[in-house]
Amino acid sequence: MASEPQGQGSGNCFPDEHQSLRFRRVSSRVSNQNYPQFNWNSTPADEDGGGDSGPRRDLKSIPLPMSLKRAVRQVQQMQVPVVSSVESWKRKKSKSLCKLKNATREFLYFFELWSKSLQKIGGNFGGGVQSYFLFLRFLVVLNFVSFSLIAGFVLIPSIIFRSAGSSPVNNTGPEACMEYDPNPQGLVVFYNYFLDLLSGTGFMEYSYLFYGYYNNTMVEDRNFSYNIPLAYLFTAVFYFAFCLICIIARMGTAARVAVATGGSAVGNYSMIVFTGWDYGCLGDRATKLKQKNIHYRLQVDLEEERIKKQAAALTLCQKILLYSLRVFMFFLALGLIIAAFYGISEATNFSQERSDEQGILGLIFEYLPSIVITTGNFVVPLLCDQIALIERYTPSTTIIVALLRAVFLRLVSLGVLLFTLWRQITCKGDTNNKACELCQYNHEVYQCWETRVGQEMYKLTLFDLLINIAVLVLVEFPRRMVVDNWSSKLAQWVGRQEFVVPSNVLGLVYGQTVVWTGALFCPLLPLINAIKFVILFYCKKITLFYNCRPALKTFRSTTSTFFFLVVLLFGWGLATVVMIYSLAEIRPSMGCGPFRFFPTMWSIVPTSFHSLSETTKEFLFFIGSQAFSIPLFALSCVVMCYFIALASVHGKSVALLRAQLKLEGRDKQFLVKQIEELSRQL
Amino acid sequence: MGTTASQLGKDLLSEYQELTFLTKQEILLAHKRFTELLTKDEKDLPNTRVPMEKILTLPELKSNPFRKRICLVFSTSEQKDGSLTFEDFLDLLSAFSDSATLEIKSHYAFRIFDFDDDGTLDCGDLEKLVNCLTGETDDTRLTPEEMRQLISNILEESDIDKDGTVNLSEFQHVISRSPDFVR
Repeated sequence: MASEPQGQGSGNCFPDEHQSLRFRRVSSRVSNQNYPQFNWNSTPADEDGGGDSGPRRDLKSIPLPMSLKRAVRQVQQMQVPVVSSVESWKRKKSKSLCKLKNATREFLYFFELWSKSLQKIGGNFGGGVQSYFLFLRFLVVLNFVSFSLIAGFVLIPSIIFRSAGSSPVNNTGPEACMEYDPNPQGLVVFYNYFLDLLSGTGFMEYSYLFYGYYNNTMVEDRNFSYNIPLAYLFTAVFYFAFCLICIIARMGTAARVAVATGGSAVGNYSMIVFTGWDYGCLGDRATKLKQKNIHYRLQVDLEEERIKKQAAALTLCQKILLYSLRVFMFFLALGLIIAAFYGISEATNFSQERSDEQGILGLIFEYLPSIVITTGNFVVPLLCDQIALIERYTPSTTIIVALLRAVFLRLVSLGVLLFTLWRQITCKGDTNNKACELCQYNHEVYQCWETRVGQEMYKLTLFDLLINIAVLVLVEFPRRMVVDNWSSKLAQWVGRQEFVVPSNVLGLVYGQTVVWTGALFCPLLPLINAIKFVILFYCKKITLFYNCRPALKTFRSTTSTFFFLVVLLFGWGLATVVMIYSLAEIRPSMGCGPFRFFPTMWSIVPTSFHSLSETTKEFLFFIGSQAFSIPLFALSCVVMCYFIALASVHGKSVALLRAQLKLEGRDKQFLVKQIEELSRQL
Repeated sequence: MGTTASQLGKDLLSEYQELTFLTKQEILLAHKRFTELLTKDEKDLPNTRVPMEKILTLPELKSNPFRKRICLVFSTSEQKDGSLTFEDFLDLLSAFSDSATLEIKSHYAFRIFDFDDDGTLDCGDLEKLVNCLTGETDDTRLTPEEMRQLISNILEESDIDKDGTVNLSEFQHVISRSPDFVR
């Protein structure tokens, strides 16, 4: 029935004035279905306010077939708008700018790291797994770029000015504190080199890897001066600020999405059904997996709705029982976590006491804190999962609770390790203790405590990588071989490995937090971490494709990016606290490092301050004074209030428009009923 | 106008770049893939139309549950048989590209999901849509009870004017709040 007007050619679906009414009436149904009404008489300048790239954008986003778009373009080109020469110059400029932008984007796309691998992963395993690898790529790039900062400002000047320069402060201090002998005595057995590589001692200790090697020198020339300790300090501070800016910039897009979509609970089913399909799926297996995935999600959501209805129907007695059970389970989980912390603290104490052991046993003692942390991070979440079964929350709440517990466990266990170290280094903060009296830190055990802390972080990083590779080789590959080749019920019940995104992401966040904590004491650690993450990327990719089956319970990819970055921010916060405390409170070692004879690391800033010129000093004093900071604070409060008010106004107008939309629909129904009544009366 | 024998002219290439969301490399790659589907004598003719069966042999479309609907929607053939010319193929790729706007994507998504081509998504369309999403075999389908609950939930969330169907503007309203589409 609708085929005749279609055969006429390109112009028949539009309310063109050349068409007869009859044609329009017949084809109007067709045109309403398929093509939007296009206003041929509108000029490009009317489309939107600026109108510069308007015409081009409009052409691309008109949902018409190519031949019709071409016709539209011809019409638009024939309608030459009457504009001034300034306007036409502006239009030409913006056109060339657009072309330039497109060209640069195509060029930069060439440099994007691992884009093909990521597409393959996304097509076969879905967006949740892909978001893990995207996060990993972000961390690799962050580590490389931030290392280039450290290399440029600290490492290379240190190498160049190794022998030159003088100390900015007098070299005085108690003799006993200045002893530092990192090089081993006499002949060294060969395998000791390997042990030293793993633990950062021996030949690795007195090298650019650790804080102790950097010199307390300031190079001054006629036109050029470079203060290495100051550079070290400012680079460390700026490194943290730079990482924060990168994370927040990346969170910006994710946060905008999270805020714009509002509560994710509303519109859940429509969202899954209308936007759930991933058109990037390749192949039968991926398609079936995606279908199973969607099926599972729908079932889970419907089940959750049923559970909610059931929970609302519980009697008071049952409710009290359930809540008291939940409180009890919460305390049980907390108890487990605190037990893990106690274990870590004891292990760290033991390891530091027995640091003189040699050989393999010595290596095990050195790695004891890392071993205990990893075991705790593996065992405690398993137990918490069993606890969650008893708590009987809804499935989505269960996932969030499990994740929060795991995050808490990981980050605070690192904090416990650092706290234990601090207690030993500063004799529990008590400067009257016999061991700490002379140098304000425990100089007998820790001749160069910063290097020791750096070594602990280095060991944690290495151990993390070794454990990942060991699990890959010793657990995941054999598991797949067993499951594939041994067809018994037990093997089928165990099944192939699932790639669980949340715990893998927590591993990444933990690794990055360790690096941030150790960056002040081990400047090459970001580079080591970048290389570690690259190795991890390939290892995880291999295990994903060979050993894993995709998880049925997927993590929503877009909200999960935001969540990963929030957790990363927690890690950053912990590392910042550590850094600020080390800079401001603990006395630097007198035997080694760039801050040798300063009372605290931060005190180099006031010392160097006095060597600045008068105007710079006055300017900096002004910025720090109340006359500047109080108005600045007031201004930022005003700006924040403005944005909050704007956001709430937008929210209210969205709600108002929604209500209006409902009313419009009801008006339409009312009018239709009226028409029916009237037509019945006629 | 149409595709020249084996290579795209420069003017045509820049015209396609202007009218679609594809980059130059993507258009050239699309041309290569499309000409692989043609037989030897078809390659010399301009503006050939490739039948739906051949299009469905492309690996990207082969297992897609919406493959037939996609071909039918983007086809400009008079017989509505799902056959595509190269320009229809480019329109298809443009709508699915990453840089396509929300309006284009939602418009075409609506048409793909509208199985009976009546301009709205009613219960029948929604049921067919859910079956495509979960798989057609018996053990992957939802039970009738679950299907009914699901469809009533969807209509409650998306059908703003309560007429029992989801029309284009309601569909676009729901889609615009999806995190995947908010840029």
